[in-house]
Amino acid sequence: MSVAAPDKLGDSLITVEHLTMRFGGLVAIDDVSFQGANREITAIIGPNGAGKTTLFNCLTGFYKPTVGRLTLHHPRKGDFLLERMEGYQIPQRAGVARTFQNIRLFPAMSVLENLIVAQHNALMRASGYSVAGLLGLRGYRQAERQAVELARFWMDRTGLTDRADIDAGNLPYGDQRRLEIARAMCTNPVLLCLDEPAAGLNPRESSDLNALLRYIRDEHSIGILLIEHDMSVVMEISDHIIVLDYGRRIAAGTPEEIRNNPDVIRAYLGENEDEPLPPEVVRDMEEER
Amino acid sequence: MTERSATTSPVLPPLDAVGIVREAGLTAFVVFALTFSLVGFKVEDVPGGLDIVTRFDQVLAATVLAFTGRVVLILLHKRRHLPVILVGLAIAAVILGLVVAARGAPESATAAWLPFESVVVNVLVAVAALVLAGRAAWSAWRRDVGVSDEAVELAARVHKAAIFLGPLMLGFAVVLPFLPFADRRLLDIAILVVTYVMLGWGLNIVVGLAGLLDLGYVAFYAVGAYSYALLAINFDLGFWVCLPFAGIMAAFAGILLGFPVLRLRGDYLAIVTLGFGEMIRVILLNWYEFTKGPDGISGIPRPTLFGLPFTRTDPDGGETFHSFFGLTYSPLDRIIFLYYLILILALVTNFFTMRIRRLPIGRAWEALREDEVACRSIGINPRNTKLTAFSIGAMFGGFGGSFFATRQGFISPESFTFIESAIILAIVVLGGMGSQIGVVFAAILLIGLPEFFRELQQYRMLAFGAAMVAIMVWRPRGLLAFRDPTIRLSDHDTAPEKQT
Ligand SMILES: Nc1ncnc2c1ncn2[C@@H]1O[C@H](COP(=O)(O)OP(=O)(O)OP(=O)(O)O)[C@@H](O)[C@H]1O
Ligand SMILES: [Mg+2]
Repeated sequence: MSVAAPDKLGDSLITVEHLTMRFGGLVAIDDVSFQGANREITAIIGPNGAGKTTLFNCLTGFYKPTVGRLTLHHPRKGDFLLERMEGYQIPQRAGVARTFQNIRLFPAMSVLENLIVAQHNALMRASGYSVAGLLGLRGYRQAERQAVELARFWMDRTGLTDRADIDAGNLPYGDQRRLEIARAMCTNPVLLCLDEPAAGLNPRESSDLNALLRYIRDEHSIGILLIEHDMSVVMEISDHIIVLDYGRRIAAGTPEEIRNNPDVIRAYLGENEDEPLPPEVVRDMEEER
Repeated sequence: MTERSATTSPVLPPLDAVGIVREAGLTAFVVFALTFSLVGFKVEDVPGGLDIVTRFDQVLAATVLAFTGRVVLILLHKRRHLPVILVGLAIAAVILGLVVAARGAPESATAAWLPFESVVVNVLVAVAALVLAGRAAWSAWRRDVGVSDEAVELAARVHKAAIFLGPLMLGFAVVLPFLPFADRRLLDIAILVVTYVMLGWGLNIVVGLAGLLDLGYVAFYAVGAYSYALLAINFDLGFWVCLPFAGIMAAFAGILLGFPVLRLRGDYLAIVTLGFGEMIRVILLNWYEFTKGPDGISGIPRPTLFGLPFTRTDPDGGETFHSFFGLTYSPLDRIIFLYYLILILALVTNFFTMRIRRLPIGRAWEALREDEVACRSIGINPRNTKLTAFSIGAMFGGFGGSFFATRQGFISPESFTFIESAIILAIVVLGGMGSQIGVVFAAILLIGLPEFFRELQQYRMLAFGAAMVAIMVWRPRGLLAFRDPTIRLSDHDTAPEKQT
């Protein structure tokens, strides 16, 4: 299988080649290749159990791929082979940040603290690995102030400023989702991987999220990989879509192409009774047929 | 939820008398089963051998009191405040009245009416009854018993008060040796309490902040103690030179323990650390050539104040503390010095913890406690973060150990058994994980009170256990579980102006 055609819009940011992930006898990802570009939202869709989250776990170092090469083309630092890096180094060095399908915040810490912890590595250097910080030197106080400013920026963007000092665990669900994105952005990533960020959001929150993701893509010129079940979100904001089914890549292309792809329609309509598509998407697909 | 709705509506749900009696009966049965053999029979030395004395009256008293206590507790939960107040006050009044009446005449007919032989136990029962009555009165006055809310609110209030309470307690601690009632016994207890406060604060870094359940903390205490003892004896070094070395050795032991347990969490971690604690003790016990095994190490040098010993005369003919300052010799001087020494060590520990909590490493520890996976996803190195927590916590354990060695003058593996780890952990957990002031209260409660209640003898540990269970039931997150954010947006919005 060949690597997907390079994109016209952005520069290539992440290249996945022949990625395979096996758990014992189960092949969760089977020889998947694709590219994600800078300043683009690449959606990864597919029925439940298709291997989307597993793909993210491989990209962010939580799993070591059985086979395959994952290259991140960092705009400033050069190429990183993600499959060879330790989990924590991937966000730290290569600048890949992620969110989780079931939100993982630091619940007993405040919103602001969640965002400050995300800047751990920069602050750690600034605090002279705690020595200068313990002595209360000026350089560290300066760095901390900057960290608060960055946190403040993302809180403003995600509408969390009023709740800065509330424990993250006490936030309403939608706010927690947005806080997780803000936390990921506070690590200053070049690639943001979002695992179902719109799950459980109401229509208003969902459209706010679309705006936020567009803003991140356009103004911060980073690449986004987006796993999403909500087709209205996917079709609206993604530049490129990859479709997985049973761990295999069954289609890739623009939203327009995917909408018309018979394999995709079959994968969704034929085999996914437990989680039907939103009615408007089904109608869309039916009409196209 | 049900409690909330009850708060708003004045109509209380009817009581289920049968259920209450059944529950209280069960409690009474458990107490009966426990006390029947433990209290019911007592072996006594009589001329010509041992004799078994039965004390079934006390068993009966305990059972009846347990039954009443359980009923009262249920009533308290169901917001029937008045009967609780009345019963509590009645029991307290009767017992206290009898205690006072029977004072000095333990064999009198009045004394026979007291539920228990020991005055202390009787007073404790009366105090418990008073506490219950007071609690009911307080709830009746506030008209709500939202237990968890109350706990959080109390913790929050104590922590707010800590701004004043802290310096106040510190001031008290500083002047304590010069107060009129400060005798040798009180100072010894104070030294013990402050030692445990320091160890609690040290362990709090590992357990409270980093969330790593460490059941082998005493190992670092032991490493510190032996490091000091061996260095001081073999190389003839003074306390202040050995102290940092002992800390470093203990920190090193912390890293040594940290490496194999990096991947473990929760119960598994607890078990391995427990094993580590025992390992260190067994090594100390068996490496005879190095540690003198079970014989222990004696003749550990006492600390000096810049070289001034606290003895009547200096063996080398030099100045001593009292002669240098022109004071008359008092054996209490050394105790007071030890007291200030441990107070300073404890304060350093506290200051360090408060400070590091606000630094990136401290926040990373807390984040690690909250969610290790999320930590990795934002680029925090879990290995280094855990190892620093282990080693820094261990370092303070090592300092504490050095102090222990210099205070006792003699150490042996006996002093570093699992129960020590358990007590230190209990202090941290009861105080409310991560709560600095909670540790102080818990140490006073767990170390200070039992020392004062030595009279309870073998029931001491039973009371200790009962207190732990009680706190875990009513305050499952610890006495004063409360967390203050390490940074607030409001502070920082004004900060730039202030700083420039
Ligand atoms: N650690 C693991 N061990 C064994 N099997 C796993 C593991 N992680 C994932 N799998 C399996 O891999 C397959 C793909 O799972 P994955 O979570 O990636 O699906 P998904 O596309 O994210 O689904 P969903 O839409 O429900 O989130 C599933 O069959 C799952 O059971
Ligand atoms: Mg998933």
